[in-house]
Amino acid sequence: MTHCPTHEHLSRRSLLKGTLATAAGGTVLNLGSLFNSKAVAEAAARQGKRCILLWLNGGASQFETFDMKVGQETGGPFRPIQTKLPGVEVCELMPRIAGMTDDLCVVRSMRTSQIDHPGGIHLMHTGYSKTTGIRYPELGAVVGKYLGNPDLDLPSFVKIASNGDTGAGFLGPRFAPFSLNHSGRLPSFSKSNLDPALESRRHALRSFLEETYAEEHPAETSKMHREAYDQARRLQNVLDVFDAEEEWPRYKDMYGDSLVGKRCLIARRLVESGVPFVEVGQSGYDTHADNFSGHKSRVPTMDHAWSGLLTDLKQRGLFDDTLVIWMGEIGRTPRINNRSGRDHYVRAWSTALAGAGVKRGYVHGKTDEKGYDVVDGKVTEGDFFGTVYKALGIDTEIQHYVGIRPIPITPFGGEVKDELLA
Amino acid sequence: MPRVNFAILVLLLGTSVVAAAEPLRDVIDREVAKAWAEKGLEPAARSTDAVFLRRVHLDLVGTIPTHDEAVAFLDDTSPDKREKLIDRLLADPRFGRKQGDEWDMVLFGRNPAGYDTRDRPGFQKWIAERFNDNTPYDVWAAAVLKAEGNSADHGAPLFLVQYDRRPLDAAVAVSKIFLGVQLECARCHDHPFEDYTQLDFYGMAAFYERLRKVDLGTTRVGVHTNVKKIVVGERNTGEVLFSGAATDQTPGKKGEAVAPKFMQGDVLEEPELPEGVEDPKSFPAKKVPPAPHFSRKDALADWITSPENPWFAKAVANRIWAQYMGRGLVDPVDNLAPSNPPSHPELLDALAAGLIEHDFDLKWFIREITSSRTYQLGHTGSVVDARPRWFERARTRPLSAEELADAWRVATDYLSVRPDAAQRVEKNRFDPLTSGFVLRFFGKPNNGVGDFQGGLSEHLYFNNGQVTSLISTSKGGLYDRLAGSEEPWEQRVERLFLTVLSRRPKPAETERFVAHLAAEDDQQDRLREAIWALMTCSEFRFNH
Repeated sequence: MTHCPTHEHLSRRSLLKGTLATAAGGTVLNLGSLFNSKAVAEAAARQGKRCILLWLNGGASQFETFDMKVGQETGGPFRPIQTKLPGVEVCELMPRIAGMTDDLCVVRSMRTSQIDHPGGIHLMHTGYSKTTGIRYPELGAVVGKYLGNPDLDLPSFVKIASNGDTGAGFLGPRFAPFSLNHSGRLPSFSKSNLDPALESRRHALRSFLEETYAEEHPAETSKMHREAYDQARRLQNVLDVFDAEEEWPRYKDMYGDSLVGKRCLIARRLVESGVPFVEVGQSGYDTHADNFSGHKSRVPTMDHAWSGLLTDLKQRGLFDDTLVIWMGEIGRTPRINNRSGRDHYVRAWSTALAGAGVKRGYVHGKTDEKGYDVVDGKVTEGDFFGTVYKALGIDTEIQHYVGIRPIPITPFGGEVKDELLA
Repeated sequence: MPRVNFAILVLLLGTSVVAAAEPLRDVIDREVAKAWAEKGLEPAARSTDAVFLRRVHLDLVGTIPTHDEAVAFLDDTSPDKREKLIDRLLADPRFGRKQGDEWDMVLFGRNPAGYDTRDRPGFQKWIAERFNDNTPYDVWAAAVLKAEGNSADHGAPLFLVQYDRRPLDAAVAVSKIFLGVQLECARCHDHPFEDYTQLDFYGMAAFYERLRKVDLGTTRVGVHTNVKKIVVGERNTGEVLFSGAATDQTPGKKGEAVAPKFMQGDVLEEPELPEGVEDPKSFPAKKVPPAPHFSRKDALADWITSPENPWFAKAVANRIWAQYMGRGLVDPVDNLAPSNPPSHPELLDALAAGLIEHDFDLKWFIREITSSRTYQLGHTGSVVDARPRWFERARTRPLSAEELADAWRVATDYLSVRPDAAQRVEKNRFDPLTSGFVLRFFGKPNNGVGDFQGGLSEHLYFNNGQVTSLISTSKGGLYDRLAGSEEPWEQRVERLFLTVLSRRPKPAETERFVAHLAAEDDQQDRLREAIWALMTCSEFRFNH
């Protein structure tokens, strides 16, 4: 089992008793915050593992990143650069990550089943192909369910400029993503516009009704409704976690002065505050035409943001507990088309992991000399999701149920690839 | 002819617990009480008038009563006032819309499969009319399964449009919805713990292999323009192919044609196709395709909707029971498998037999359920399950997105504020709220197995979102009526509670609200706060 045992949990309720006493009478604004003190926040943040997904929407090319085929007709114009690992080269578009390969666990042997964008985006967010009548939960919802701390004021699943579209699926609204837009702006209705004194007064009146109702209605349903209401109010205390503006000037060199860099900084702020899952999107990799200039304009930005994120996590002691995943929904064809583009390809492509639970300085799997096929260490979507769950310490044998139908957390046919795990 | 399942019919009627003239509502109460006695359970007391009033309004017409309706019912002293209320609501045109909403979700859900099924004004109008004119269930179900007419003017075909060129998915949906049989597992292998084989599955899919949707252009449905008019054509040829269990399949190996076969029954007997009949490559658009020489889908529809079908009546009886009682006698409602037996087997038999005897008269059936003592139990008690398994007290269920919007409009007298409200609502069901938001936050408030789950975003919407936009200060609205009144605050608080929660306040509530509202400062804000608190509290959010 993964998440910390109950007795180690910080109990919001027990902590609250103290703070609420001072607010008796409802005249003092009290949003029921747990994290009034920095020390408490830090203690909470140290609990449990977390995950950041860097999502390369459209599907980044393996040839222009981790699996170069120099000198082959499939290779493309870029040069390889030596990394920290002997004999391992990556594309010159990723100089910073090249210097951090001793922290990475690169998979060069992905073999997945969905070759178009909607299918691939669904597949690589859930581990499953779309099925009529079943809404699968995304990775972030599953991680939120098993690694989330219910006492946290922040949501358990945050997306920034992201692309998955099934959200919590059958896990239900409790694990639904909280989505920031491309520039990191909060979703609609996050912020209360009321004067705090008025909000407090309104809350006191509503609480009076809720207490009476709760006495007569022990149903779980109403309890859940009350807790979610509390969560919506408590969120008001922590909205500044989403705002990286103040920190940004000091960090923009580390993350690179880009939107992706800023999104990664927000992600770091969130995991540091205890959010178990954050997805950061970068779009524009669907380079059917001008693949090389397309990658030249995107990969270096991600290289800077990603390496900055890893560095920052390490400096803050969060790296060991945070799994950072770098992937898109598909890879790109070995063949370069007549528009200097690469099309969709899922027979052999690359992803990369770093941090919690995975090997460091390891390159997994191998493709043939031109990059057409996996020759060693094939990893399917099912294998990938099973391995990610295990790296995060989530029980890979869990079954969810949709009606009577069991849906295993490790997708059908998938198996944990222990070779990737530390 | 499909095999007639006399054995099952005889079993149904033979062991039936229905005495000749015993009303179904009494059978319900007797059978449910029998289980309480066996389990040693103490049922809740009868619901109060106010609880019943709100519950039955939401369940039958999908919204809450107005202030005046609430007062009239609560102050009525006649002993049969509940029966009269049920009769009045069953005759209300909103009954059709509410039941139509329920079946719209059963047949399509919030995220329907396939193209052209996202907006369904034609279907929604059609299904509401079926409930209002009380078309027998077997008749309208057959229209859906035969895809009669076009999707705009008649609505029915839209269900199968979802599964255009996806006969396997059609077989799954039809079996589950109309028969309560979950065939999915048998798609890739024989069902692991039921008696459904993979060939049962492909045999059912074969009925739908030949269907093709044909676009006839667009038309107008009420206020909705450019509604697509689609018909479902059926070809004379085309077979579903079966290539063995998933584990035995090899790439490149083509499957063998599977003949249509009724579930766990006979192979369909089809007339020989006359010589020289050739299907066009595809049905041309804008033209109603010719009927096939023999319709497989119609043959299946007749078999499914026959009173002799072993599953059809039970499946719908159980589904409607669950709609009103919170939980099916078989739960989940769409799994009537032998391994998932009903909680009250004799009651389920009686419900199904009653439906068959009454020619699938759903209004009668719903009247019997809502008139039962079981349905009218109170909602208080020590059980924490929102959907009590033995029905010893009423269930607690969240209001649907549609119910919330409708109920909020009644609660704030929005209809008096906006004279054009009816038209606006026809255009946007959630007016004056943004439909995208309402559907996103309230459209699917459940986890995968039917239990409500509170979410952060619904409260962000309550707290910081559009709810306050309903609290208009314009003439005729609740706010204006309370603010402009000269009555003492006690009376105004009573009106407030009756309008929003359909009940009178308790003394402590009157005291608390009067204290809040009568204060000198921020009078306008205070009134808005009070209305908002009632509109967003758990008591409003749920039907109990």
